[in-house]
Amino acid sequence: MKEAVENLLETACRALSELGEDSKALDLARVRFLGRKGELAQLFKELGKVSEQERREAGRLLNEAKARLETLFSEALEKRRELDSAGRQAIDVSVPGRRAPLGRLHPISQTAAEICRIFNWLGFETVEGPEIELDYYNFEALNIPRDHPARDMQDTFYISEDVVLRTHTSPLQVRTMEKRKPPVRVIAPGRTYRRDSDVTHTPMFHQVEGLMVGKEISFGDLKGILTTFVHQMFGKGVALRFRPSFFPFTEPSAEVDIECVMCRGKGCRVCKSTGWLEILGSGMVDPEVYKYVDYDPEEITGFAFGMGIERIAMLKFGIDDLRLFFENDLRFLRQF
Amino acid sequence: MLISLNWLSDYVDCSLSTESIAEGLTMAGLEVEAISVRHPQLKNVVTARIEAVEPHPNADRLKICLVRAHARGGELLRIVCGAPNARAGVVAPLALPGAELSGGVVREAKVRGEVSGGMLCSRKELGLGEDHGGIWILSAETAVGVALDEALGIRDVLMEIGITPNRGDCLSFMGIAREVAALCKTAARYPASAVEESGPPIDSLTSVTIEDAQGCPRYGARLICGVKVGPSPDWLKDRVEAVGVRSINNIVDVTNYVMMELGQPLHAFDFNRLREKRIVVRTARAGERFTTLDSVEREPGEGTVMICDGVGPVAIGGVMGGLNSEIAPDTCDVLLESAYFNPVSIRRTSRALGLKTEASYRFERGTDPDGVPRALDRAAELMRRVGGGRVAAGRIDVLPHPIAASEVELRCERVNRLLGTSLACDEMKEYLESIEMRVEKTAPGLLRVRVPGFRSDITREVDLAEELARLSGYDRIPVTSPLASVHAADCDPRQMVRARAKELLIGAGFFEVINYSFIASDALGKLRYSDTDTVPAPIRVKNPLSDEQGVMRTTLMPGLLDNARHNIDHRSENFKIFELSKVFLPAGQGPGAEEIQHLAGIMAGNRSPLALYGEAEVDFADVKGVVEQICAFLRTEELRFRAESLPPWLEPSASASVYVSGQRVGELGSVHRDVLQACDVKRPLLAFRLDFDGLLDLRGPVPLYRGVPKFPPVPRDLALIAEERIPVEEPLEFIRSLKEPLVESVEIFDIFKSEQIGAGKKSIGYRFTYRAADRSLTDEEVNTVHGQLIAKVTARFGVSLR
Ligand SMILES: [Zn+2]
Repeated sequence: MKEAVENLLETACRALSELGEDSKALDLARVRFLGRKGELAQLFKELGKVSEQERREAGRLLNEAKARLETLFSEALEKRRELDSAGRQAIDVSVPGRRAPLGRLHPISQTAAEICRIFNWLGFETVEGPEIELDYYNFEALNIPRDHPARDMQDTFYISEDVVLRTHTSPLQVRTMEKRKPPVRVIAPGRTYRRDSDVTHTPMFHQVEGLMVGKEISFGDLKGILTTFVHQMFGKGVALRFRPSFFPFTEPSAEVDIECVMCRGKGCRVCKSTGWLEILGSGMVDPEVYKYVDYDPEEITGFAFGMGIERIAMLKFGIDDLRLFFENDLRFLRQF
Repeated sequence: MLISLNWLSDYVDCSLSTESIAEGLTMAGLEVEAISVRHPQLKNVVTARIEAVEPHPNADRLKICLVRAHARGGELLRIVCGAPNARAGVVAPLALPGAELSGGVVREAKVRGEVSGGMLCSRKELGLGEDHGGIWILSAETAVGVALDEALGIRDVLMEIGITPNRGDCLSFMGIAREVAALCKTAARYPASAVEESGPPIDSLTSVTIEDAQGCPRYGARLICGVKVGPSPDWLKDRVEAVGVRSINNIVDVTNYVMMELGQPLHAFDFNRLREKRIVVRTARAGERFTTLDSVEREPGEGTVMICDGVGPVAIGGVMGGLNSEIAPDTCDVLLESAYFNPVSIRRTSRALGLKTEASYRFERGTDPDGVPRALDRAAELMRRVGGGRVAAGRIDVLPHPIAASEVELRCERVNRLLGTSLACDEMKEYLESIEMRVEKTAPGLLRVRVPGFRSDITREVDLAEELARLSGYDRIPVTSPLASVHAADCDPRQMVRARAKELLIGAGFFEVINYSFIASDALGKLRYSDTDTVPAPIRVKNPLSDEQGVMRTTLMPGLLDNARHNIDHRSENFKIFELSKVFLPAGQGPGAEEIQHLAGIMAGNRSPLALYGEAEVDFADVKGVVEQICAFLRTEELRFRAESLPPWLEPSASASVYVSGQRVGELGSVHRDVLQACDVKRPLLAFRLDFDGLLDLRGPVPLYRGVPKFPPVPRDLALIAEERIPVEEPLEFIRSLKEPLVESVEIFDIFKSEQIGAGKKSIGYRFTYRAADRSLTDEEVNTVHGQLIAKVTARFGVSLR
């Protein structure tokens, strides 16, 4: 028996070494030696003929042989697979993918969306209004009467005597309060127009207006909300500065500067060496404005703010020429 | 407002550094926009004494001056100089290497072989005068070796301060001094206003009558007789020039000086040219014409405040004087005007005449009615001093109605609540007093504030709140979070859909563009719209910057076509762009226009972003696919494309109108070649336009769930040989209209033409998917239904089955 087993192993080894490239031969060889009716199975059948004393020993030999054969075959199979895949032509994974084309939102849209997202998250609702606006909403009801020097602050495009292209998004303050009872918390993005065109001005630009009005809203709250906004927009550590200013429809009014995002406040060309960048105007809603919308200034307080989207986008993306926004050059648009 | 710190120091003592003052003013609402040195060219220019003069070895006209430029000790410098007046013992300005004079930067250089360590200068070379006759010989007592500007006492720093329209009171040195004083916790010093009078009382010499008390509530006058008009003394000239005012003569310079000093505009009349020697303030008469100082004849218009003499106008009140009464070289007696004009009236006049002056600028921002006499006295005294005249005794001060100072009640607690501060009432009192308010505590927590006349902007409690915030510092107001009820911000579904539609287009490879809302007046012409077309005429801008921006757009196409032109010209030839934004249609709702959202886009060049995967160009199916995709996104129903009702900017053979639920919502196709030519676009373009707002109204409802099918689909094909002119969609529509319940879907999978089929024919392959909700369909069942459908289709379209 021992001899027969050794013979079998020897034959199997030789058969495996002579297999060559053919993978079917391996399968056949496996059947020949390990199959249900294979040579090993035949030897197992003969186990019955072996004397009882030897049977134990013979059984051990056969089982060892079986394990040995299985190892040999799985090794051969493994080797075979390796050879197979090595032989096959591999894909050049550096060939570009067949991708669907991808466009981009205009950087102004991206910036406006980001600003609105932050305020929406703070509970401000996005509202919209007409761009061809009544003088009444654009000026009059914002406490900018016809013969006030504050009208000089904005060069206006006129459609007719009483109709203008809105010079800011502030008319939305009045329009919103006219329609709603306090509390009011809105944000109003949109196009605005001023009769001005040079390196730092385009006749059309974008603003976002914000308004929060209710009971017990203080200047401290204005600082709180705008600080939250700046930290969301430009990063947690960015310093802010509130500086007295003048807008006819807010009192007190404040200009908000942020620490220069280009030089981190050290002073550079962008911030004209001041370390500060002016980014928005704000203030407590002037009681005069409440009169136009029938709110009681004794009962209701609140704040408003407005910012230029182009300005924020320029800071956010490091764009140095305002006019690029409206040229719509693909080489520009692709970068965002 | 340009402020000289030298001049400012006349009115306030402040030990803070220039930078701290600038920072403090900025944080008090007076933004310091720039700080500069008065004479930057005098850097590196010092006083020097010529100790000895030697001849130049190589040039007869030049000499070598041995110059001492140190107070004591130090080496003598060798300076080459050609000025005849350079002689031993004189003190003169010496520009050292590095000095940046108007003629260039001074360097140590060889002049005809001799090294010169600097340059002795004339007045002109230093930009301090016209004299160029030789070097500027300074007084012999001048200290040697000090900076020239310091030695001359003209070292000065200038601050450019941005003054907001509400702070007219800060358009003067005194106004800025008051703010600096508050900053430094000190008091501002007003200039002396004592007048040395002589001669007869003014009342015996002239009179003032106010007929228009509305436009001119206060008018003061003084008379200075026997003046000698001439150049201003150096100090006066230097001061007005320091703040950018041209020196005219001693009398006019005094009026400008006092205006800069106190903020009160003044006017000087040649008294002897005033007819009847008196002043009448009245409104202009219709058609009245008048020639102002600048020699322009103007028609002030009814209601304008006119300053007249006994016969007619001599000045437009608060705006500009007249040629007929201006100070001339031979003027002997001067009538000085100091008045308070109604700000609104001045602004109207200034705007109507298109005439803005230093005076009108201040008057329309509100001057101090109480400051009228002070300015009058100050200027009269200065004129006496620099013009050598005599000031007639007394002054005229006509004030038809007393002008009440404004008094404001302040509730300390209310102000603290508004600001979020916790200032004590006494603290508030102190702050307000620091800017010359008179404050009285009338009850606990209650202040009565008397506002000085120069602060016409303060009339309400809230105005005082701003002053308190400003003076105590915005940075000291605590940062708090508002207490507000929780409510979800409503979201306008239209905004949301617009945002998502944009995302969808971006995913399809489109770049968003933003174009101006105005278009050229002839833009519609370029789109081949003619006058007879029934498109609405765009709304005109009354005062456009140019004709290119003359009208409000009624279509997005001009902007997009221009973007296409720009990009093709810059070698970006493969692109997809879109704009989703407003157009402005005349009339309708809205204050001036109906503003509706349009969506339009242009495609050009290769379909695939990579040439590797083919360089086929986009075609009609691509642009149609975009529109179909948008409509699918909006779940609109009954989307149809028909080659009818096309706008003129599309190529009729390759374009279609878009209909949703029977309503026309836009168009798409190839841009007409004439339009491409008119817009200078050098490549073919495909375009689409949708009335986005209209489309939103047609969007489908939120879908209701229907069970996912449990039984397998059974496919069947149908090949039709059809007349080429039959749209492939027509049989499809017909099949759908039959509403066979077992047909789940039908789609076109193949369209081709060949010789075999024959000329004028095409083969259309339709793939049917059959499915039942409650069972697996058998072949026989499907074959029966399919056969019936084929019969109906062939009967209807007369097409043969392949
Ligand atoms: Zn910087």
